[in-house]
Amino acid sequence: MQRFFTLTEAREKLVKKELSVTQLIEEAVTTINTTEKKLHAFNTLTLEQALEKAAKIDRQGTVKDIGPMGGIPIGYKDNFCTKGVRTTASSNILGNYIPIYNATVVDRYEKAGAISVGKLNCDAFAHGSSGENSDFGPTKNPWNLEYVPGGSSSGSGALVASGGAFLATGTDTGGSIRLPASFCGIVGLKPSYGRVSRYGIVAMTSSTDSIGCLTRSVKDAALALEVTAGKDIHDGTTVDKKVESYTSFCGKPVKGMTIGIPKEYFVKGIEKEVVDATEKAIEVYKSLGVKIKEVSLPHTEYATAVYYIVTPSEVSSNLARYDGVRYGYSDTEAPDMLSRYFNSRRDGFGAEAKRRIMIGTYALSSGYYDAYYKKAQQVRTLVCDDFKKAFQKVDLLLAPVSPTLPFKIGEKASDPLQMYLSDILTIAVNLAGVPGLAIPCGFAKGLPIGIQVIAPQFEEAKMFQAGYAYEQETKWHTMHPTLGENNGKK
Amino acid sequence: MVKNKEYETVIGLEVHVELATKSKMFCSCSADWFGEKPNTHNCPVCMGLPGALPVPNGKAIEMCVKVGLALNCTVAKESKFDRKNYFYPDLPKGYQISQFDQPLSVKGYLPLLLDDGTVKRIGITRIHQEEDTGKLIHSVVDGKKVSLVDLNRSGVPLIEVVSEPDISSPQEAKLFLQQMRQIVRYLEVSDGDMEKGSLRCDANISLRPKGDKKLGTKVEIKNMNSFRSVERALESEIVRQTSLLNEEKKIVQETRGWDEDKAKTFSQRSKEESSDYRYFPEPDVPPMLLTEQQLTNIKKEIPELGFEKYTRLQKEYGLSKKFAAILTESRNMAQFYEDAVSVLMKASKGTKEQAGKDVANWIVTGVMKYLNETGASIRELLVEPAELIELILFVRDGTVSQTAGAQILDEMLRTDKSARYIIEEKGLQQISGTSELEGIVDKVIREHPEEVKKFKEGKTQVIGFLIGIGMKESKGKANPQVLKGLFDKKLK
Repeated sequence: MQRFFTLTEAREKLVKKELSVTQLIEEAVTTINTTEKKLHAFNTLTLEQALEKAAKIDRQGTVKDIGPMGGIPIGYKDNFCTKGVRTTASSNILGNYIPIYNATVVDRYEKAGAISVGKLNCDAFAHGSSGENSDFGPTKNPWNLEYVPGGSSSGSGALVASGGAFLATGTDTGGSIRLPASFCGIVGLKPSYGRVSRYGIVAMTSSTDSIGCLTRSVKDAALALEVTAGKDIHDGTTVDKKVESYTSFCGKPVKGMTIGIPKEYFVKGIEKEVVDATEKAIEVYKSLGVKIKEVSLPHTEYATAVYYIVTPSEVSSNLARYDGVRYGYSDTEAPDMLSRYFNSRRDGFGAEAKRRIMIGTYALSSGYYDAYYKKAQQVRTLVCDDFKKAFQKVDLLLAPVSPTLPFKIGEKASDPLQMYLSDILTIAVNLAGVPGLAIPCGFAKGLPIGIQVIAPQFEEAKMFQAGYAYEQETKWHTMHPTLGENNGKK
Repeated sequence: MVKNKEYETVIGLEVHVELATKSKMFCSCSADWFGEKPNTHNCPVCMGLPGALPVPNGKAIEMCVKVGLALNCTVAKESKFDRKNYFYPDLPKGYQISQFDQPLSVKGYLPLLLDDGTVKRIGITRIHQEEDTGKLIHSVVDGKKVSLVDLNRSGVPLIEVVSEPDISSPQEAKLFLQQMRQIVRYLEVSDGDMEKGSLRCDANISLRPKGDKKLGTKVEIKNMNSFRSVERALESEIVRQTSLLNEEKKIVQETRGWDEDKAKTFSQRSKEESSDYRYFPEPDVPPMLLTEQQLTNIKKEIPELGFEKYTRLQKEYGLSKKFAAILTESRNMAQFYEDAVSVLMKASKGTKEQAGKDVANWIVTGVMKYLNETGASIRELLVEPAELIELILFVRDGTVSQTAGAQILDEMLRTDKSARYIIEEKGLQQISGTSELEGIVDKVIREHPEEVKKFKEGKTQVIGFLIGIGMKESKGKANPQVLKGLFDKKLK
């Protein structure tokens, strides 16, 4: 089935004209039309526009001239602003919001020729690890519809795994790309902070938001980074560093590389299946001639605490603009200004957004700032230093993405603290601003498991090199879910 | 009864200056918002749309640093922006990007030139960079009272200058603001117009018994929209606080507004109600690092400022303090003056001081008079420095009289005609020939027998009167020296 090509393979077929763009997009439309009822991966579908665009490209001739993503179906997480297309961040308060501009990354994909199939469900404002915090209802895991697909980029994970698109964008603030990639058995790229523009993406935690993607292969993710990375004049935190030819690192030998295994990542409570799969992955690397070395990231245990102070603090400020004055949900019947603020925000925000606003407002209050926010930032520096020290000894780090297998919908929804622990192995990477790549590494109980390869800041190339070598050796990425039919079987 | 104590006033000012950059502080929208159609200078950034990010305007930061250097501050090599969080409909992001604990400049002073010519140093605590808010327009639409938001001003660069509580009277506060305006105008970083809101001021004021070291409870005064209203508001606040203190009542720490019509301050909010702004470092803008080279380059762009010019002009041309102050009020005025002096120096003999004083007299009595009457600025002047000098030379060489010269200058300023043209057009050449003036002198003697009698009785001072009449008779053209000689001769 064509829908299970990787982006790279599909591109080859398009370039060789073995496949027309219309055929490819029609296939995507058919797939989405069958899977969407089961998965709820989308908030907004743009299939008609996609078919029109496909026909236009076919009329114009060859995809090669159009760009590296010419004719490729893509889904945008619904916190990416898309000009003229509703962008909700899966929140009621932006339920009817239509942006007047594109996010830089959307522009770059469009310029490269990608064709959007729609806007993808996620946890509202990307707050969550399971997709259940969407104000519009949860997305299901294509491997087992009773399970969560991981969050917050839940729709992105479900769409790519179920074959509706080769590529979906995501944002990773504490694990929101890597976790759904891992839970859905696909590849998830979280680039270095500053590598990809955040302009036009509904902000969550400005200091850790990373803009990446979910794909079906490592090489696809490398290509996506080539298209999106680089300085953006609209985002002062992007750096003016050369964008490497990441795809050309896919296929380079890994013999002689040193990969560190952070001992703190094998925490108490980590599930045996996860440990087993990770150990097998380590064996694969050894067989490829990679030196494996145990390393220590001693401040790992504080990362979650730091994250859940820094994040709500920035969230409380980033969500202040949703006040019902200029756009989005507004209680227009409110008798005065203050009640309009109160009512619009009370009714427009979900429980998790409110929880973070309250925690953050508290942590930033005068008299508490030093004890919480400032202290958290100091500890954050220690977390960063852990990575710097480790990377003096090793080229890359390898660890599981999640301490557990995907869990059932509803299982942790009522316990925010339990939910926060899903990110325990991904958060430190965000605090340090380094890149991480989630890769499928096996299955247990019919559910996918993922590992992550972590590189020093701006050294994504090395990460793709190692990720690709593993992927080619194991081929876990060629496994596809059957969606409800034969649940649990591969 | 206790005798009323004498109090001294302690004032500190917070001055906001809107910078005259082309684009806004964090986006590329035009910063020229004044008088424009509402909500036409906007983009996702200054409208606070989801996903928009701020990118700082380097030119604005340069201007802020310039003001810091001009006010003798220490400029921070490393600085950062912070978010000041509060809700208000004119603040689209729900926070203002400002600077909290690492302002661009700290610890400077402004040498305040007082009316008596003495100089008092007013400490500058800090100068920081921030962005302006939008504006609320309260209006009636379809018979309903509404508040509308105009975001044209949202994101326009502002700097805030905070002074030490070194100001001791409303008069000094007004002078401080006027001299701040002069500085920003000299630096060409702002038009400094209070009426347009380009210069805004909040004042902190407290009283304490004379001689006390401890500061009294301070009150913050807002919404003063002119130099005059700053002075009046502070005067009225002194009266209010003095009577409270005399009645042994407590001063409440609060923010008070100024009601121009009632000429009174009124309570706006107390300290307990004041917001907690929850400042934290702005994560969207990386910290700013200023290199030594950048700082040197900015320094090079700072012109000689008003106060320096004021001091130099006195020394160089022997001007009085009053004249030096007038001539340095604006950079253009000082430029005009010095250009004119240098033309005169080239065109005639004499010392720099003579030339300087001569030109100063003409400008202060002639040009300034015209500018004050018409409200025009020196920039709009039709007369070039060299043209003024042409006129001065005509007076010096006796072509026209001093009196006629003043007339000619006035005409030049209004019509753009040259001195030579006006002299010829109106036949204003001075008459120095004794034969032409004898008739006039005879006529004056004939028609004023009283005065002639007095003169002959030894009251020689009446000669001034007689010369005056003679000048009038000649329509100002007579050379008064020649007239005097003739009178002396004929009445002896």
